[in-house]
Amino acid sequence: MALLEARGVTKRFGGLAAVADVSFDLRDGEILGLIGPNGSGKTTLVNVITGAAGYSAGDVLFRGDSLRGLPPYAIGRLGVSRTFQIVKPFRNLTVVENVMVGALFGARGGARVLAAARGLAEEVLDFVALGHRADAPAEGLNVPERKRMELARALAMRPTVLFLDEVMAGLNPSEIDAAVGLIKRIRDRGTTLVVIEHVMKAIRELSDRIMVLFHGEKLTEGTPEEVLTNPEVVSAYLGRRFAEQSRA
Amino acid sequence: MKTRWAPVAAGVVVLAVLAAAPAALSPFLVQFLINLFMLAALAESWNIIGGFTGYASFGNVAFFGVGAYATGILLTRAAWPLALALPAGGAVAMLFAGLIGMPILRLKGHYFAIATLGVAETMREIVYNLEITGAGTGLVMPISRSPIPFFYLMLGILVAATLVNRWLSASRFGYGLIAIREDEDAAAAMGINTPLYKTLAFALSGAFAGLAGGVFADWITFIDPDGVFKVSTTIQMIIMAVFGGMGTVVGPLLGAVVLASISELLSTQLVSLAELFNGLVVILVVLFMPKGLAEFIRKREFSVRQLVRNLREYRV
Amino acid sequence: MLALQVLINGILLGGLYGLMALGMSLIWGVMNIVNIAHGALIMLGAYLTFWLFTLWGWDPFVSLPVTIALLFVYGYCLQRYLLNLIVRAQLFLTLLITFGVEVVMVNLVRVAWSSDLRQVTPAYAGAHFKVGGITVPYVRLWVFLTTVILSVTFLLILEKTRLGRAIRATSEELRAARLAGIPVAHIYAITFGLGAALAGAAGGLWGMLFPITPIMGGGLTLKSFVVAVLGGLGTMMGAIVGGLVLGIAESFSATYLGPTYPNAISFGLLVLILIVRPTGLVGRRGSA
Repeated sequence: MALLEARGVTKRFGGLAAVADVSFDLRDGEILGLIGPNGSGKTTLVNVITGAAGYSAGDVLFRGDSLRGLPPYAIGRLGVSRTFQIVKPFRNLTVVENVMVGALFGARGGARVLAAARGLAEEVLDFVALGHRADAPAEGLNVPERKRMELARALAMRPTVLFLDEVMAGLNPSEIDAAVGLIKRIRDRGTTLVVIEHVMKAIRELSDRIMVLFHGEKLTEGTPEEVLTNPEVVSAYLGRRFAEQSRA
Repeated sequence: MKTRWAPVAAGVVVLAVLAAAPAALSPFLVQFLINLFMLAALAESWNIIGGFTGYASFGNVAFFGVGAYATGILLTRAAWPLALALPAGGAVAMLFAGLIGMPILRLKGHYFAIATLGVAETMREIVYNLEITGAGTGLVMPISRSPIPFFYLMLGILVAATLVNRWLSASRFGYGLIAIREDEDAAAAMGINTPLYKTLAFALSGAFAGLAGGVFADWITFIDPDGVFKVSTTIQMIIMAVFGGMGTVVGPLLGAVVLASISELLSTQLVSLAELFNGLVVILVVLFMPKGLAEFIRKREFSVRQLVRNLREYRV
Repeated sequence: MLALQVLINGILLGGLYGLMALGMSLIWGVMNIVNIAHGALIMLGAYLTFWLFTLWGWDPFVSLPVTIALLFVYGYCLQRYLLNLIVRAQLFLTLLITFGVEVVMVNLVRVAWSSDLRQVTPAYAGAHFKVGGITVPYVRLWVFLTTVILSVTFLLILEKTRLGRAIRATSEELRAARLAGIPVAHIYAITFGLGAALAGAAGGLWGMLFPITPIMGGGLTLKSFVVAVLGGLGTMMGAIVGGLVLGIAESFSATYLGPTYPNAISFGLLVLILIVRPTGLVGRRGSA
């Protein structure tokens, strides 16, 4: 049994299907890349799986138990966490306090005691190389720091499955390299990851398998080699003419 | 949110002085202080839902009134002693807040604020029309000879409310509320049971408001719908919390002390003048110091420049 | 027959509620300010009409343009020199400041004109006519007709004039409006002035039907909010539809349930609508 199984997940807004009949398996310990052009439904899929949006159809099983209908906090407590594409810091708190919230309320209810939560939070901050900014106000962070804090908050929840939604947007090449290394270390520590990205280089390096969404539907999935040279995938991103040109 | 011991020590000293005080003070001062404690308790109670959780209720006077009437009815119709009637009144207010909170806390922004206003208006109307509450004529409590017990009761409620605020500032539950205030979607994603937490905060807020109302009822010995469901009570508790610094532990208390004192100095004649003062303070505070005194205390500067900066921060 | 009478009463009153809500809906839609002092503006309009009638004998319908003009100026200044300063602040602060304005206005009126009940009673106050078995007081009919005229005029201004277009542009896309050269501070002030003028007109008309006190505004703010939400925010037609619905609901509940719970009715309707159809009766889905 796969760790996470999505079965025919569909989400409609009015007459438009943002996510249409998407099914996939997530295997324990893997990094699944999720790519697709803007508007293909990647974030919506994550929203539905993590309870931030409702289902129009389908279901998702986590360790065999259905997640459909559970509120976001229940799903977080079960061990499925996510980061937000547009980061949502707790502005009036310090960095370590932000991460402590994740530690206090994460998987299986989190740490109950403030001191223990703080300890965990500091450890996570060190892991993502943000330890030196622990007591800084969250407001004052720059873009890469904010992304790392967002990541730290999710990590402090000690998730089994973690959805990363475009954590590399806005990073320069060396920051991207650092992020790739960090994500690999997260997997090595035992978290299964789904990584949504537009940075192809990073996706190729990170993913064991890649799934492609297009107009809300699953276009294909496979190894990075298979997927990234697949003419349909190229055509989805760049248009059919370009795909035909590059084939000719 | 670390503990700073100097202010705590100062607080304990003031508390000790106050506790010893009543016998030594003039009756007028005692009444003033009871009123001050009440307003400060209300401000601290509002802070729980408005300051910590970020759900600015404009109708918390509803719980004050419910507590007043619940206690009052038990005192007059059921002849309970205050020692039983008061906690019961507080419990009724808390239960009411919890029940009404469940649907209302699902609303956001403007809708929540106006809905809470509606709750207060509706409660006044309902109480006005019921037999058991004495309808428009109100309830009359047995006269007691000395205000001293009420001095201690109201002070006790204030201390309890402040201690709860203190607890919120350094507890898991409090972190949850603050996270809800800062970003409710993120808070939910991180495992916080937002509907439950919001409702608990609202109920807690209602409990203290209700207890204050219960003491008020027996102290003033006469309550009527227009007296205990006053919009101006809501304004006072909000502006005191904001002026002192909403979301801080002692901000509301500080705000109450300053504003109630000034208000008392100004309003020797007309009630309207005191309310006028409150309204003007609201406008000035929103314009010049929306983060309250606490911001100035924390930054350790009180400059005209900061005031001007605040003034220009949100303009068109 | 009673039902028809109740219906007619409800419609006549509902038109007035719609006029009240128009002002609030306009300000809310354009500047995202829920004006808690809305009821106080209505109250001011009522008092102005009363004094013009009592001191100089002006017929309340005749003095209405004056009331409208004065409230417009007052609203313009309020927005331009006070509210424009906090337009971009968080919701709570804008609510709080309008709350403060309401308290100041109500208490200034209390101090200046006392809390005594006032009423505008022109000579024709009690006159009525009968159609079928229905009794229609002339004043109520004329009030209704006036609300229709004012509402239509306002809608025409909003739809057909350059000013109206500027207001709608500012409401929909602030940055684009600025780039197009629209003086936003001025437009906001005009919008508030219009909202205040509508409120003042509604107040003047209200004063012909009901007693005037400094605190009459509180419940009316709530009602205007309910009507605005009922009809659907940002839609002016919605305010009118919502007003009629509230007027009819109140009329029926007062007759068949008893007159003692008007606020509870408004409030109950509000909660119902917010749960069942948050975009209101006229508003489009997904446009809340």
